[in-house]
Amino acid sequence: MSLLKPKLLCTLLARRTFHGRAQIGKREVVGHGLNGTYSYLDRADCPYPAIRWEEPGSHIDALLQKQKGDWKNLSLEEKKALYRHSFRQTFVEFDSPRGDWRIITGGVMFGLAFALWMSILLKKFVLPPLPESCSEESKQAQLKRMIEIRANPVEGIASKWDYENNRWK
Amino acid sequence: MLRSAARFGVLAVRQGVLCQRVAPAIGARSFSAAVEETDAEIDAHFEAYFKRADLDPWLLRKGLYDIHRRDMIPNPEICKTILKACRKLDDYALTTRFLEALKFKCRGEPALLAFILKEIKPTMDELGVSTLEEMGYDKPELWLEYPDDRL
Repeated sequence: MSLLKPKLLCTLLARRTFHGRAQIGKREVVGHGLNGTYSYLDRADCPYPAIRWEEPGSHIDALLQKQKGDWKNLSLEEKKALYRHSFRQTFVEFDSPRGDWRIITGGVMFGLAFALWMSILLKKFVLPPLPESCSEESKQAQLKRMIEIRANPVEGIASKWDYENNRWK
Repeated sequence: MLRSAARFGVLAVRQGVLCQRVAPAIGARSFSAAVEETDAEIDAHFEAYFKRADLDPWLLRKGLYDIHRRDMIPNPEICKTILKACRKLDDYALTTRFLEALKFKCRGEPALLAFILKEIKPTMDELGVSTLEEMGYDKPELWLEYPDDRL
């Protein structure tokens, strides 16, 4: 019981989960990778991940031994198997287009259509009509009134109205 | 709230807390002494790096990543040294990955890639390293047809 002090437990847990060591199984750690965590990512800007893609096992052990000999004795299939043991996808595979532009375009179109219909339906069934002052006659009357009180005589409306001939300059 | 913050500030300055903290930080700031490395020095550095006697898989990948993230394309001599280092550490997959990374760095410069590949071809033959074309990795090997494309 004295062994299970909280501090010791924390240390053990930290050691187990340090850099994701607990999550990679028996995979071989071969490098620093992107940021020092034991993670696998196929990225063009960091092509050398920290761990191998596959766990070592009976299917690959013989090949790994053969790899220590002359590489000229490796067949093409064996070379490919070695590559896929270390890496998940080749450069051209993870760089090629994924065809997801279709679903993105579709999603954006769906969102636009939804917003459009929402605004139409809200306008038709929910929102009250616009106030009287937004009607065309009311706006004309407002404009007339602004001219009459000579609003903004320097650069604004009144400056553009010819008061002697009663028309726009 | 502002008043309490201001009071803390006044107190801190009066007691010299902030002054003590700030002053040495300014004094101790070190500015970078720009060291210009010539291209030849960088090439020599990497060539020597991959020839190190104590090179292990970790250091090898670190060197490869260093080259990859630099604004440089390794010259044929460095490429040969890298291939030999991979041979020494018995990692065939890494040679293929390096060739792919090299091709990626040379995108838009096909003539340069062809030159480097021509120069390192003897070493590749000597070690038994296949080119990407021989491996079939110049185009995707494993891929799924997009369902909509069948329509």
